[in-house]
Amino acid sequence: MRALFTKLQMALGSAPQSSKDEAKQRLKLLLIHDQINLTPAQLERMKGEILEVITQYCEVEDAEQVEFKLNRMESSVVLHSLIPVRRVTARA
Amino acid sequence: MAECIVVTSGKGGVGKTTTSANLAAGIALSGKTVAVVDADIGLRNLDVVLGLENRIVYDLVQVVEGECRLKQALIRDKRVEGLFLLPAAQTRDKQSVSPDDMRRLVKDLKEMHDYVIIDCPAGIEQGFKNSVAGADRAIVVTTPEVSAIRDADRIIGLVEAHELPEPQLIINRYQTAMVERGDMMNREDILEILAIPLIGIVPDHSDIIVSTNRGQPVVFDEKSPVGQAYRRITDRVMGLEVEIPEFDTNQSVWSMFKRWMGLQPAREVV
Ligand SMILES: Nc1ncnc2c1ncn2[C@@H]1O[C@H](COP(=O)(O)OP(=O)(O)OP(=O)(O)O)[C@@H](O)[C@H]1O
Ligand SMILES: [Mg+2]
Repeated sequence: MRALFTKLQMALGSAPQSSKDEAKQRLKLLLIHDQINLTPAQLERMKGEILEVITQYCEVEDAEQVEFKLNRMESSVVLHSLIPVRRVTARA
Repeated sequence: MAECIVVTSGKGGVGKTTTSANLAAGIALSGKTVAVVDADIGLRNLDVVLGLENRIVYDLVQVVEGECRLKQALIRDKRVEGLFLLPAAQTRDKQSVSPDDMRRLVKDLKEMHDYVIIDCPAGIEQGFKNSVAGADRAIVVTTPEVSAIRDADRIIGLVEAHELPEPQLIINRYQTAMVERGDMMNREDILEILAIPLIGIVPDHSDIIVSTNRGQPVVFDEKSPVGQAYRRITDRVMGLEVEIPEFDTNQSVWSMFKRWMGLQPAREVV
């Protein structure tokens, strides 16, 4: 009966995600983290290099506030960056 | 040409010893000779799972240190022709053996048998390095759980770093009813993540516990569904093409509807 209820909920789009899908998504993120295995120093360098490119086009608010994070979205893992920008400096 | 296969996992307690015992017994049942080596030095268990604990005289470390000959340490199973156990030492640690020792040992065992199966200890340290040293290929055991699969992924990388070919996967403790409910990752989910070939699925089953209680590998029991699963795995390991069947082929509209309603779990033969 519970299975039926869950199926109906899923059909109506209100069901919570099944626990195996949650497991799978967590795993995917975990494995990327395990495999990337960036040292804090490498991560800092990547941040620096990405910022260098960004600042050619935008004025960045405060380099200290820039964040890079791996997140999961649907079934893939994405690198999220949060870069507060003051204004766009590049001209068309 | 004899072949040495290491059974490994990374995470502990996922079924390496159970798999090694049944695989070795299964190979012997098929008429080949096989030596199964307990490489879990300090925590020996394979002797108990095989029901041979009362017959141990010498162990692997004593062979390596030259205290006895290899033939003296091998225990011949009396239930089936061609099955031999090389027990681990119980009171020594993993540092007593080196990868070179293991390579020599495996070479000698391969001269006497068709197959050598190595039951690897958990972890990625010395015991793992010893276990893969003499192996020609690896079987990775996992359960359908996040932590076990994560460790399996790690081990697959390490196996390849030791220059063994791509390992094959056994999914152990599979629960079809939970998979049906969406509460356990299914085979496709796991294969999508680990991306190595599947060589078998073993259901989670009380027969394993009963057979371990008795020291009788479940593969000897032709009627047990787990015993049958291990027979199919043995065949595949020995190179036979045996299907890993999909869900029950009952495709009538009514049964599909009932299945969709969750009223009739699909039976999976693995
Ligand atoms: N398919 C199964 N169904 C039910 N119980 C199982 C199954 N497979 C293994 N077990 C149980 O799980 C426990 C651990 O199994 P086993 O000793 O084979 O794992 P292991 O990977 O060798 O562990 P370790 O890492 O400690 O060496 C045992 O008690 C065993 O009986
Ligand atoms: Mg074990």
